[in-house]
Amino acid sequence: MNTERPSSLIRHPGQTSIPSLENISDFSLNITDCAQVVVPEEVFFTVAAAGILENLLILIAVVRNKNLHLPMYFFICSLAISDMLGSLYKTLENIFIILCKMGYLTRHGDFEKKLDDAMDSMFILSLLGSIFSLLAIAADRYITIFYALRYHNIMTLRRAVVILAIIWAFCAGSSIAIALFSYEAATVIPFTILFPLMMFFILCLYVHMFLLARSHARKIASLPSSTAHHRTNMKGAITLTIFLGVFLCCWAPFVLHILLARFCPHNPYCACYMSIFHVNGTLIMCNAIINPMIFAFRSPELRNTFKKMFYCSRSNCNW
Amino acid sequence: MSVLRLISNRTSQQALSNSDYTWDYEYYEYGPVSFEGLKAHKYSIVIGFWVGLAVFVIFMFFVLTLLMKTGAPHQDNAERSEKRFRMNSFVADFGRPLESERVFSHQMAEESQSLFHFCINELDHMNKEKESQKGPSLESNTHFQEVPKSSGMFEEDLHCLSKFNIPNFVNTEQNSSLALDIER
Repeated sequence: MNTERPSSLIRHPGQTSIPSLENISDFSLNITDCAQVVVPEEVFFTVAAAGILENLLILIAVVRNKNLHLPMYFFICSLAISDMLGSLYKTLENIFIILCKMGYLTRHGDFEKKLDDAMDSMFILSLLGSIFSLLAIAADRYITIFYALRYHNIMTLRRAVVILAIIWAFCAGSSIAIALFSYEAATVIPFTILFPLMMFFILCLYVHMFLLARSHARKIASLPSSTAHHRTNMKGAITLTIFLGVFLCCWAPFVLHILLARFCPHNPYCACYMSIFHVNGTLIMCNAIINPMIFAFRSPELRNTFKKMFYCSRSNCNW
Repeated sequence: MSVLRLISNRTSQQALSNSDYTWDYEYYEYGPVSFEGLKAHKYSIVIGFWVGLAVFVIFMFFVLTLLMKTGAPHQDNAERSEKRFRMNSFVADFGRPLESERVFSHQMAEESQSLFHFCINELDHMNKEKESQKGPSLESNTHFQEVPKSSGMFEEDLHCLSKFNIPNFVNTEQNSSLALDIER
């Protein structure tokens, strides 16, 4: 339904059936070409709105409850902000397209191009922010486990805020640089290498943490092995797999899209992959919905805060 | 991003001429992609990518399960005793809190335990003065990293606890989820 995409991020060499049918008959591409897979606008808006609302709730909960003013929750908030930015980008892009369709904005104007650039850099900022927030959460948990007695000296609130400021400044600078210089291979390659590197590093941190937990449990367990241990092993492995698997499945398609668009736009196989771009975008927004469930909602304190927020909305509850 | 935009003067002119029947390819400047003579299925990259991703995730899951089954690699002896005390919260989650409590009560000196309780009582007293909420979180230590309610308390806790090498006190209450503490 919505085939007009003035946003540069989704301008890509796609199907050729319509112009080629009109012009030259010997191409005969209507049988074998890849049609653009279109996701309905309603789905886009619903998923984006759900992501924004959910993450906004988390931010409000952390701000309002003084018990949650801890470094751990600040890093979770940072993740919520980056998820919100991703969903916000998609929403703004759709609004932009609707405005173009209705004729309020032109396609070739300078203002639109600048707006487009700004939106692209917001999206890259969201991706980088997500990766670094996940890294910060993993590092915070690592320090909690391995330097437990000194944790409160190492990770003070002030240091957490400074770390977050540095992370976001770096992400903002990188996103602007990538958006401006994205036509060069020198930006695309580091961008795509950063993604698996970070994932691998986070995986190593968590595996080390789990191994220590495992060895500790084994030391104090009276039985050498039991179903309880087996269950907890499975639980740990399942948790970690879900956590990293969701992030990979949601972001990797888009990263591959960028790679293919840069290096093999003329290849028919690549073009077919790039035709499912809108599905990749929807996946990224789904990540914004799933991330809070994996991180934020597992904390009982945060869940209690939500309950209080909803049930106390009628009566005036004290925080 | 401009890598996908690929705006150029030449091609935008060409694209504009095609814009009568489609707005979609306005910035489309690569020219038609020929799909003739494909050896493999046209969606082979899509299928291959998703199958590869699924295989990788399943492989990662099995590797993780195997790693956790076979146990930890060698730990330094110097760290071992210190880490043992830290892992009480994991122990609680692993479902054997009572045994671990017994184990650790044997390992610790009785006086350090009493000192710890004294310390806890002291901090509780200070907590009551400052906030309405107690620090029973010091005792219910599955959330030990969430314990202090303000940064001002951190140094006091640490100063108290650093006097002796004691574990974070084991919480004996069974948690409903077996998930590790780090997940909270």
